[in-house]
Amino acid sequence: MKRNGITIGLIILLIGTAVTAAGIGAMHISPQQVIAILLKQINIHIPVTYDEGMANVLWQIRLPRVIAAILIGSGLAVAGAAMQGLFRNPMADPTLIGISFGASFFAVLTIVVLSSLPFMNGALIPKYYLLNVTTFAGACFTSFVVFRLSKTGGRSLITTLLLSGLAINALCRALTDLVTYVANDEQLRSATYWTMGSLGGVTWSSVWALLPFILVPIILLPRLAKSLNVFALGEQEAAYLGVKVKRLKAVIVVLTTLLVGASVAIAGVIGFVGLIVPHMLRSITGSDHRSLLPNCALLGATLLTMADVVSRTIIAPAELPIGIVTAVIGTPIFVVLLVKQKKQLRLMS
Amino acid sequence: MIITAQNISYSVGQKPILHNLSFAMHPGEVTVVLGPNGAGKSTLLRILSGEQAPSSGTILLNDKSIQTFSLTQLARCRAVLSQQYMLNLPFCCEEIVMMGRYPHFNNHPAAIDRDIVQQCMQEMQVAQFTGRLYQTLSGGEQQRVQMARVLAQLREANAGDVTGKLLLLDEPTASLDCLHQQACLQKARDLAQHGYTVAVILHDLNLAAQFADKIILLKNGQLVKEGSMREVLQPDCIADAYEMEVEVWQHPDYNFPVLVPAEHKVRSILKTSNKNNIHEYNSRSFVKG
Repeated sequence: MKRNGITIGLIILLIGTAVTAAGIGAMHISPQQVIAILLKQINIHIPVTYDEGMANVLWQIRLPRVIAAILIGSGLAVAGAAMQGLFRNPMADPTLIGISFGASFFAVLTIVVLSSLPFMNGALIPKYYLLNVTTFAGACFTSFVVFRLSKTGGRSLITTLLLSGLAINALCRALTDLVTYVANDEQLRSATYWTMGSLGGVTWSSVWALLPFILVPIILLPRLAKSLNVFALGEQEAAYLGVKVKRLKAVIVVLTTLLVGASVAIAGVIGFVGLIVPHMLRSITGSDHRSLLPNCALLGATLLTMADVVSRTIIAPAELPIGIVTAVIGTPIFVVLLVKQKKQLRLMS
Repeated sequence: MIITAQNISYSVGQKPILHNLSFAMHPGEVTVVLGPNGAGKSTLLRILSGEQAPSSGTILLNDKSIQTFSLTQLARCRAVLSQQYMLNLPFCCEEIVMMGRYPHFNNHPAAIDRDIVQQCMQEMQVAQFTGRLYQTLSGGEQQRVQMARVLAQLREANAGDVTGKLLLLDEPTASLDCLHQQACLQKARDLAQHGYTVAVILHDLNLAAQFADKIILLKNGQLVKEGSMREVLQPDCIADAYEMEVEVWQHPDYNFPVLVPAEHKVRSILKTSNKNNIHEYNSRSFVKG
C-alpha cells in the first residue's frame, strides 16, 4: 500500500533526523557514536569509540531537547490537523486562531505570579505541572471564546473564525505585554521566552512533564479519525452517519488544547507547525484522518527537530528562539497556501 | 419501514415552522414533498430523519418512536441527501462514498464495503471519478457522488435484505442535468420497489407527476393536501399552495400528467373558466404533432 509506505518512510526519516540532530552542536557526535551511546544503555556494545564527555553531553543536553522537539512537533501537528477537521477548514491553526497566545498569556501570568511566591522556588516538576494546568486552562478558554465568536447561525465561518483569532491574539499579546511591563528582570527573561518560543530551557524534568499530555491525545485522536472524516461533510451529515456531534466537538477541543497547552507550557508559542505539516501531508496522502493524524505526528516531529537544530546552530554559540525559525520558514509556505486556495476558488466559481 | 408522523409541530422561538402535520409513508412508495420556498419542507425532512426533534408530536418507525433509536442504529437504516455540501478539505470521490459505509464497520472497511462503494458509484455514473478530488467536480457531479454515498449507506451487505430502509432526499435534482434528474429519481423509484421507504423534496411539479406515488403539499408549515399524485396535482391544490394557475394535461401515451403554467396561454379559455371546465380541459387529450 502506498499510504503504509509513506508512514514507514516518515518513521525512518524521523529516526534518521533525531539521531543526526542529537549529534549536531558545539561538540560533534557522529550518528554511529550516538547509536553506540544509546545502545550501551541497554547493554549492547558496538565497536564504535567515543569518550565519556560525549555520552554526558548527549544524555544531559541533547537528548532531552531532541525528545522535547519530537513530542512538541508531533503534538502541534496533530493538534493542527484535528483542529482543521473540527473547524472543517484547512486554514485553522492553534496559533492563527489565537489559542497558542491565549495559552502563552496564562503561562506568562503564572510565571510572574509564581516567582513572586518564595516557597515555589526550586520545585521544578510541580511548577511545570502547574504551568501545564494553567496554560491548558488558557488554551481551553481561548478556544471556547473563538469557537463561540466564529459561530453564526449554527455554522462556523472561516472569515469570522480568523478575525476572532486576530482579535484574541491582539488582546492576549497586549495582556502579556502588560504583565511583562510590571515584571522584574528575571521574570521578564523567562516571560519573553514564552512568547517567542524556545526549546532552550528543556531538561529531563520538562520532558517528563510533557510526556503524558502529548502521548494521551496522540493515541486517542486517531480513534476519532472516522468521525472527523464525516465531519468534513457537515455537522448534520455527520449526525446522519451516526456521529455524536456534540461529544465529538467537546472531546476534540479538550484533546487539542491539551496538546497545545502542554507545548506552550514547555516551549512557548511555536507557530505554523500545526498549519503546514497537515497541509503538506494532505497533498500527498489526502485528507483521510486515519492516515493523516499518525503521519502528522511523524512529520511534525521530524520538522520541529530540524528547526531546533537550525535554532541552536545558526547563530552559535547564541540561540535563536525556535518560534522565530518556524515563523520565518512557515510564513512563505502559508502565503503559497493562500495563493493556491485563491486559485482553487477561482476554478470553482 | 412504515413512517408515521403524528401531530408534528416545530417552531423556532416564537416562529412556527411546521404546524400539526400527520401522515404516513409506506415501503414501496415514493412520497414527494412539495411546497413553495420556506414552506418547511427541509425542516420536515430533518424531523423525519430523527436529527431534529419536533417541538411536539412524534415520528414512529414501524410503531416505535424514533427517539428510542440510537444514532448508529438510525445511520444503518436511514440515509439523507442534503441540499448542498460545503467541503473544504480535499477528499477523493471514493473516500466520500466510503463514508456512507462508516456506520457498518469499525476501523477498516471489509472487502464487501469496497464492493458496495464501487457498485454505488457505477449506479450513479460516477465510477470514472475514482481518484479525482471531490472539489474539482462540477456541482451536479458532486451531487451524484453524494447520492452514491447515500446509496452505499443503505446497501445491505447480504443482497436482497432491504427491510426497513428509509431514504430521504432534499432536492436531489437541483443541480443535475435533465438526463441525470431522470436517472436519479428513477433510482429512487427502483429502491422503493425493492422495499425502501422514500421521501423526496422536489420543486419541479412535472418530475413529481412522473415519479411520485404520494404527494405531501405544504404551505407555511401547514398541510395543503396529502394524497395520491393525481389527487394532489390538481389546479386548485397547486393554486392554493403556490398562488399560481396551472393546467394539467394528460397525454394518452403516458401514465402521468404534465403541468403547464396557465398565464402563458395565448387563447384565453382559462380566464372565463370555473372549476368545472378546468376539469373538462384536464380530461381532454391533446394530439401529438
